[in-house]
Amino acid sequence: MNMKRYILAYVLFCFSAILYGQSQELFDKGVQAYNDGKYSEAISHYEDVIKSGVHSEAVYFNLGNCYYKLNQTAPSIYYYEKALLLDPDDTEIKNNLAFAKQMTLDAIEEMPQTGLAKLSQNITGAMTYEQWGLGSIIFIFLAVFAFILYYFLSYSNYKRVALVSSAVSVLLGIVSFAFAYSGQQSYYSDQPAIVFAEEITVRSEPNRRSEPVFELHEGTKVQVLDQLEDWQKIQLVNGQEGWLHDSEIRLIKDF
Amino acid sequence: MIRSLKTYCLLISLLCVSVVWAQDDEGVVFEMKASAESLGVNEKLRLDFRMNQDGDNFSPPDFQDFILIMGPTQSISSSWINGKRTYSKTYTYILKPTRLGTFKVGQASIEIDGKIYKTIAKNIKVTSAVERPNSEPTADDIADANLHLVAEVSKSKPYLNEAISVVYKLYVSPSITVSNFRPLDNPKYNNFWSQDMAFSTYNVQNGSYQGKPYRYVVLKRVVLYPQKSGPLEIAPLTLEVSLNVPTNRRDFFGGRIYKQTTKVVSAGKRNIQVRPLPENGKPANFSGAVGDFDLKVTTSKNSLNAQESLQAKVEVSGKGNLKLFQLPDLQVPSSLEVYEPEYEENVRTTISGMQGKVSNSYTVVPEYRGKYPIPPVNFTFFNPESGKYENLSSGEIIIDVLEGPVSSAISNANADIPDKVIVESGKGQFSFLKLDPNFMPIVREPFFGTSRYYTWLFAPILLIPLVLFVRRKRREIAEDVEGNKLRRANKLARKYLSTAKKELGDKEAFYVALEKALHNYLKAKLRIETSEFSKDKIIGLLSDKSVSQTNIDHFVALLKNCEMARYSPFSRVQMQQDYQQASDVISSLDKQL
Repeated sequence: MNMKRYILAYVLFCFSAILYGQSQELFDKGVQAYNDGKYSEAISHYEDVIKSGVHSEAVYFNLGNCYYKLNQTAPSIYYYEKALLLDPDDTEIKNNLAFAKQMTLDAIEEMPQTGLAKLSQNITGAMTYEQWGLGSIIFIFLAVFAFILYYFLSYSNYKRVALVSSAVSVLLGIVSFAFAYSGQQSYYSDQPAIVFAEEITVRSEPNRRSEPVFELHEGTKVQVLDQLEDWQKIQLVNGQEGWLHDSEIRLIKDF
Repeated sequence: MIRSLKTYCLLISLLCVSVVWAQDDEGVVFEMKASAESLGVNEKLRLDFRMNQDGDNFSPPDFQDFILIMGPTQSISSSWINGKRTYSKTYTYILKPTRLGTFKVGQASIEIDGKIYKTIAKNIKVTSAVERPNSEPTADDIADANLHLVAEVSKSKPYLNEAISVVYKLYVSPSITVSNFRPLDNPKYNNFWSQDMAFSTYNVQNGSYQGKPYRYVVLKRVVLYPQKSGPLEIAPLTLEVSLNVPTNRRDFFGGRIYKQTTKVVSAGKRNIQVRPLPENGKPANFSGAVGDFDLKVTTSKNSLNAQESLQAKVEVSGKGNLKLFQLPDLQVPSSLEVYEPEYEENVRTTISGMQGKVSNSYTVVPEYRGKYPIPPVNFTFFNPESGKYENLSSGEIIIDVLEGPVSSAISNANADIPDKVIVESGKGQFSFLKLDPNFMPIVREPFFGTSRYYTWLFAPILLIPLVLFVRRKRREIAEDVEGNKLRRANKLARKYLSTAKKELGDKEAFYVALEKALHNYLKAKLRIETSEFSKDKIIGLLSDKSVSQTNIDHFVALLKNCEMARYSPFSRVQMQQDYQQASDVISSLDKQL
């Protein structure tokens, strides 16, 4: 039984090593092609990497670079945003995304965020919701440990310390659970998408007859709120809302 | 009048007497001329039969519907000019109609050089009586017949916004002369965009009007662009013309006396049916351009430094309503600064319409380093020649800003990133690829929110009571000696006396079970296999195991009780006591064995 398990683990390890090895090879080919100025070829290599079942912010970032060099605004921004999703603090990605965003036609003013909302975003955004979830488990473990310690310790001073730290840990555990939960909610409700069509009319209702509300151009980021058949309700960062056909945009979170 | 004619004829014939007659080679002309083709019943008709060579045997037609008042009178004129002879002989009849109707004046014939020539028959219409019989035609009548103002329209069914031209021509017959004219009313072209093509001099040209030779003058040329579909009307042009009209009177030298008159003429209204542009296949971005155009989008430079300016020009050239549509907008990335375009037009208007080019010049100033694609400009127009919409698209232009500050205006999504981060990280450059792939599988298993997660979350909490319970139990076990004993006794009693306890109350069964239980206990404890149990043997066995005497006594007493109970009445209380005692004895025995 034990032997079998080891063999399985080893096979899995080898397999993933091969998988990663192949992807690594494709990745390096992509880098080479990019450096030689063959951007389309580099794109096909990176797409093969993604097809093989692995990804990383580096792959998406490099794809964004390729499309930027080919002057294709929408895919370039799309892949930078994807990379940023995997690594929200990477300065290189932000830098190149800024370059790509200069190519867009739409200038949309962002609605100002309240200080409180910003603060809460800063705190909950410090870790992913999975990390917060892990944190909550650790805190609960600590709390239980401290509580048991409280029973086993004989000196009253130590006992006090143990009890207090147990209570604090419980509190922290609950808080991090709350963060994890709200983080998960906002992760699922946050559905950013990039406009791929050169120019689209956003309408007031999900059909072709309805009144046009405003126009958007390639590369603009929108937030998908709702869906009806193949129409998506979107919101811009300035708060404007409308419907558009889903063939005209691409969701960033498709993994 | 007739008399004066006679006088002339006489004079002429007298003059011609001495002239030698000579035949010329010109063809023979023999014709009939009527003074009017239509006359009142109270008027007179004069018929002239004229020939250019002398003939014989003139026979007039039969004037059956007219009364011959006078005639025939003959007149002959002959002249030599530069050795060329002109001869004319005329027979004149004055007739009076007898009734209303249309009458045919038949053929007259003459014999010239042995050949018979005939005139062409003519219809004469006799109308009801007129006020001024046989008056001379007034100057106005002559002017009416000899002066025509015509508006020529190039197309009667143009498309909306398609150029049409209107040319006003004044036709003047050679018999009258025009001394002056002045427009009274300039036509207004409602629902048209119009341009008058002014010119400084009027050129008199020869042409024909209704088959007759005329001279004409082009008065006005206008190019019109209909701005509305449906039937439209071009208002007439009205002119006041000063004329010299010949009269029948002649001055002393025989020259005609001309009379001056003014006449108001007007070109008739013209109706034009303007066709709307087809709705079918009308592109969304159609801005009303009709004609045949070319689109050009150019930039003065493609790479520059930040804060320098460049000119982007959207130019439409060709033929059509150049001044009447909007040029397509140039769209540029929002991060470029663009000023209002400068409109420039270079359009000539000819009779066939507007030609040339119009352009919008945008001044673009990039502020930050980077690459800025200017998307293609689309321009749609309607081509009336083919009757179809045509679409032109310029290519995409990339503007490279080579040097300059780096944009601080990060996207809206990343607005909270401080500026300096970008500047520090990339040093203002577009970053190269990342070389460390750092792969991870795309499909990631979720952990938070799954039952696995909740198990991990709540398991430690369950751990608390568990640990506490175990701890308490252990402490109790360690501390409580008496309780331990009791627990043991209870345990033994439970083991051996459980059947007896069940029978508590039923005397027979209880004591049987009790006895059996006591025996079983001893069997188990002393490992005796036999079923034989006498009291003596039991006492002996227990003494051998050094059990205290009191315990032995108690045990034996119990056995005795069991036997006795079968034959004597035992109360329930006694049974309870015996059970308790059995339990005590077993537990105390157990300690000693």
